[in-house]
Amino acid sequence: MKLLIIEDEESLSRSILQYLTAEGNICDIAATFDQASEKTGMYDYDCVLLDLGLPDGEGLELLRQMKKSKKPDGVLIISARDSIEQRVQGLSLGADDYLVKPFHLSELNARIMAIVRRRNFNGSDQLEFNEIEIDVNSKEVKILGVQVYLTKKEFDILLYFVTNKSKVISKSAAAVHIWGEDADMADSFDFIYTHIKNIRKKLTDAGCKDYFHSVYGIGYKFQ
Amino acid sequence: MKLLTSYNRMLLLVSALGLICIGFLFYRTLSFYLNKQIDSNLVEELMEVNDFTHSRNIVPAHEQFKDLVIEYKKTRHADTGRKFADTVFYNPKKKVREAARYLKTGVSFNDSNYQVQIFTSKVEWDDQIKSIFMVIISPVLLLLAVLLLVNRFMTRRLWRPFRQILESLKTFNLNQDKSFEVIDSPVLEFRELNQAILDISLRIRSDFKEVKLFTENASHEMMTPLAVINSKLDTMLQSDRLGKEESETLADLYKATSRLTKLNQNLLLLVKIDNNLINEQEVVDISTLLVERISYFQELIQKRSLSVISTLNPASLNTNRYLLEILINNLLSNAIRHNHEHGHIEIILSGDGMTFRNTGIAKALDEHKIFDRFYKDSGSDGTGLGLAILKQICVRLHFGYNYMYNDGQHCFKVDFKPCAALTQKNQINIF
Repeated sequence: MKLLIIEDEESLSRSILQYLTAEGNICDIAATFDQASEKTGMYDYDCVLLDLGLPDGEGLELLRQMKKSKKPDGVLIISARDSIEQRVQGLSLGADDYLVKPFHLSELNARIMAIVRRRNFNGSDQLEFNEIEIDVNSKEVKILGVQVYLTKKEFDILLYFVTNKSKVISKSAAAVHIWGEDADMADSFDFIYTHIKNIRKKLTDAGCKDYFHSVYGIGYKFQ
Repeated sequence: MKLLTSYNRMLLLVSALGLICIGFLFYRTLSFYLNKQIDSNLVEELMEVNDFTHSRNIVPAHEQFKDLVIEYKKTRHADTGRKFADTVFYNPKKKVREAARYLKTGVSFNDSNYQVQIFTSKVEWDDQIKSIFMVIISPVLLLLAVLLLVNRFMTRRLWRPFRQILESLKTFNLNQDKSFEVIDSPVLEFRELNQAILDISLRIRSDFKEVKLFTENASHEMMTPLAVINSKLDTMLQSDRLGKEESETLADLYKATSRLTKLNQNLLLLVKIDNNLINEQEVVDISTLLVERISYFQELIQKRSLSVISTLNPASLNTNRYLLEILINNLLSNAIRHNHEHGHIEIILSGDGMTFRNTGIAKALDEHKIFDRFYKDSGSDGTGLGLAILKQICVRLHFGYNYMYNDGQHCFKVDFKPCAALTQKNQINIF
């Protein structure tokens, strides 16, 4: 996959670059409006990560420009501003998703993957990992062709881990992904453990290998 | 004490004292002059008596006419000194005793000395004094009454701008965009007062706006560094050389970052509610929302083995769904977090409000402080903003809210329709 990271905070864009290239993606970086405008004009990307507050221009203006020249790129807005108006404005201008800073890299990756999947497979949103088949639209999981019933939260967690395969995901990132930011969950990351235990059991019962690996009580890795 | 009452009290006291003094002096003067008049009449009578005795050389008979009584008595010494005094005498005409004035003196003729006493009735004179007194005093009293009435009317009128200023001051709310009303008054003092208050309110408002803007900007500016920290932590987590110790450090860093993020988000949320940026209205089915939220918190409830009893009567409100959701989230997560293992939560919903009751520390919280920003229990690891947000949402949605502690249970109540009488009680009545 080819990705463009438009972000003026260099240390942040470097982390994103590192995380995403490790997934086997090709990533470009643009730190200013001009660079970004030039790159989006010259190349096509599967997904563009767009920071709204650029030093020499508005990110939304760039989005307008891209949509005007009928670029097929998916756009994920990453912004520190979390107002409903800005969200609505961004999405109605043609952005595919809106992610508020600060975010976990695993969350960012999951969002990018979702955008790319939606764009490339035109509705039939399927994911495969060895013997696991996941249909994102109908929220169905099959192991070796046999359906396994997961709850909504379990399904979300599994999907999250599969999209971030061979990455360590912190409990905090997983909790935020499932419960969102509006609940005060500072002391509750341990719940993830219960869910993962349940998913593990359901999957291994269906003949799946155990791919979940605990990392020193801080998180999990799906490998 | 009201202004008018205190003014009237003083006025009445002073005018009553004045009236008594003046009335007394007036009465005394009038009596003095009337007595002089009576006395000169008595002298005239005496001269008549003298004329009579000297011309005829006999003492006139006791005479009684025109409320006049003349008496003679033979005495040894001739005392021609005149003495006037008040007395009471028997009026033979009217056959009653009445107030009188008399003149006592001596006359001598044919070597005999006589004492003459002439009495005259004072009743008619007294009546005259009374009439004069009444004629003068009654208009004064009437004038005073009119003055009081005019005063009453005028103070109401004159102080009306003051009352309006006071009313606007009482309804003045920093969070509302409605600016302080300018009152048109011909009175310079009120205009100045109004202007001064207007200036102050504008200054406070702009200061307040600046503080809010500062909070908003500061929180926003912190989000990018937080994003950097978060991404670096996520990157570090991928390292293969992560030992147990490093992992624990990372876990702590994650926790701290997530708390800081939460704090920032809550501050931003408060600013948004303050600025009334969240104001879409829709009909929200609260019982469905509550059921949904309770299932959302299921893992937390199960982990602490809490029992939840909910009595949900159907209730819908035309309000902001987002804020209501945060309100319920805060109440519910508080009831879960500040509970003990195997504790209870009771949720009651009716058309008028909802009540969250939960077990927890066996001590009432300080109901005056819990809704303050950054007030929290020493044992709590929350942001200390949850209840401040709850308060702000209630104010914004015009809900009532209160906290109670009884039977070992903490109870938070949100009133959807706070009594209208409460708001009316604040009406101003200074006159």
